[in-house]
Amino acid sequence: MTSAPHTGIVRGDLQDQKVGDYQSPLGMTHTQTVTLPGLRTQSGFTFDHVEVCYQTLGTLSPARDNAVLVCHALSGNAHVAGLHPETGRPGWWDYHVGPGKAIDTDNFFVICANVLGSCGGTTGPASLNPKTGKPYGMEFPPVSVRDMLALQIKLLDHLGIARLFAVIGASMGGMQALALAMDYPDRVRVCIPIATCTSHSAMQIAFNEIGRQAILNDPQWNGGNYSDDHRPVQGLAVARMVGHVTYLSEFAMTHKFGRKRQAEYDAESEETAMFAVESYLRYQGESFVKRFDPNSYLYLTRAIDEFDLFENGSVTELLRSVRARFLIISFESDWLYPPPQSRELVRLLKRANVPVTYLNLNTQYGHDSFLIENPAFASVVRHYLENELRARRY
Amino acid sequence: MHPDVYETVLRWIPEKSRALDLGTGDGVFLERLIRTRQVTGEGVEKNPALVARCVERGLVVHQGDIADGLDQYGDQAFDFVLLLGTFQELVAPAEILREAFRVGNQVVIAHTNFAHVAVRLQVLLRGRTPMTQFLPSHWYRTHNLHFFSILDFQDFCREAAIQEVKQAYFNARGAVRWWPNLLAAEAVSLLRSDPNSRHSAKVNPLNATT
Repeated sequence: MTSAPHTGIVRGDLQDQKVGDYQSPLGMTHTQTVTLPGLRTQSGFTFDHVEVCYQTLGTLSPARDNAVLVCHALSGNAHVAGLHPETGRPGWWDYHVGPGKAIDTDNFFVICANVLGSCGGTTGPASLNPKTGKPYGMEFPPVSVRDMLALQIKLLDHLGIARLFAVIGASMGGMQALALAMDYPDRVRVCIPIATCTSHSAMQIAFNEIGRQAILNDPQWNGGNYSDDHRPVQGLAVARMVGHVTYLSEFAMTHKFGRKRQAEYDAESEETAMFAVESYLRYQGESFVKRFDPNSYLYLTRAIDEFDLFENGSVTELLRSVRARFLIISFESDWLYPPPQSRELVRLLKRANVPVTYLNLNTQYGHDSFLIENPAFASVVRHYLENELRARRY
Repeated sequence: MHPDVYETVLRWIPEKSRALDLGTGDGVFLERLIRTRQVTGEGVEKNPALVARCVERGLVVHQGDIADGLDQYGDQAFDFVLLLGTFQELVAPAEILREAFRVGNQVVIAHTNFAHVAVRLQVLLRGRTPMTQFLPSHWYRTHNLHFFSILDFQDFCREAAIQEVKQAYFNARGAVRWWPNLLAAEAVSLLRSDPNSRHSAKVNPLNATT
């Protein structure tokens, strides 16, 4: 595990993969949408109703105590695993959610909801503002990670789940997991934050700001009021390209692309083919703009930049209430959410006498390490959840 | 380490105490300690593959080196801090021991005795770095950084104002009662910090920063 990278994990993440012969043991999976009443944001805005798109997999136990909430990251959505009935694409975490997988749907009732402010079916800037009948655009109130969490909690209430067995999430999803364990200590037994932090560093904010500026400076953005035919796709594509660079590692860059060209040199046209890495980034940008709303990108990156786990008081005071047990995972090659951020989190929790298991995996694929096929990662998460489930039954 | 070292430590640790195992490896001993003594225990291990084994056993484990591991915990978070076979591998053993006494009330150290008769004879007669059952690695492979005897360790404890509450010595045949510095291959000690020591802070190795 610590030696050469596993050859099976170079397939990349599933989000923007071309549909091939990928098989999911879950087969087709569906999402559903529910309208929940009344949500007040941290900024003071009140939604009369909020739509939440979510997916559930597995079976809720009669005692309603085997629910695992999966919180998706910046570009994710509710379709966590299985194949999408229309596009045929696998869910973004199909590698790790399913029967016998890291989050075993034979044992757990898995819930994944699209977050507030996103564009995968949950209310966001692209939704219609009931007061104007037009999309919210920049009229949408500022969204925070804790607003996303408040909506997750509303959904849990709707589903009749008083206490989660576990909450798990990476990156932005990890922030929600942490805030849930701290702000709602009675509602979760096990917290698994992955490749995340308690607040963004200047560097993390900086990369998000580049992405935002790319969108804001696209003439099509038009103050956030754009039609379906004139979306600021160039800006969003550039934002996604910058994002993808930060999700990769030097190793991944070298081994996936190096200085390889997309095609052989064509003597007739005398044109040099573009580098493989250019082609990859363009593909990532182009496929992302088809499924993501530029305004959502602005809102969600702002939310994670503003996030501060300890914004409501002193660290010691806030951590005193935590009752969950933690598994915290970071990746050695992740330079966007570097391991020292996770270690600092571990230290704060341990000094507050919270039981924390910490593992820094040697996976060499950067921040993307949680999205790809990753046997070492899957094994640790699966065993941890199994042991916690067994311990609970004693 | 000699299996009797682990049996001895199991006897020394009272039921339901809190223990931190530094360099816990695959967690076999920590798991035993938790199962048989109902100890609340955690481990620290550097190697991610071994940490994964600990997770499979359902242990609370922290991946990091020993200094980083100790830094995770508040003052007196444990009754016992265990360093079984790792003390001789530490770059700065005195600093680690000071930290161990910050985090735990008592410290258990098991170490190899470099004055064991087999070691002495090999140096004397063969003129080579000794390799024994308890020192199985070539000099270029060993993780040991410090080569000290039982007497060296006793001097160290005295100067560091640490009281050896209990000791046990072993060689391949089992427990050693007489002339441990000559006949024992391994030693294990239960240590307590001794505030009544006459030794001044100046010579205390725990205060030295090297």
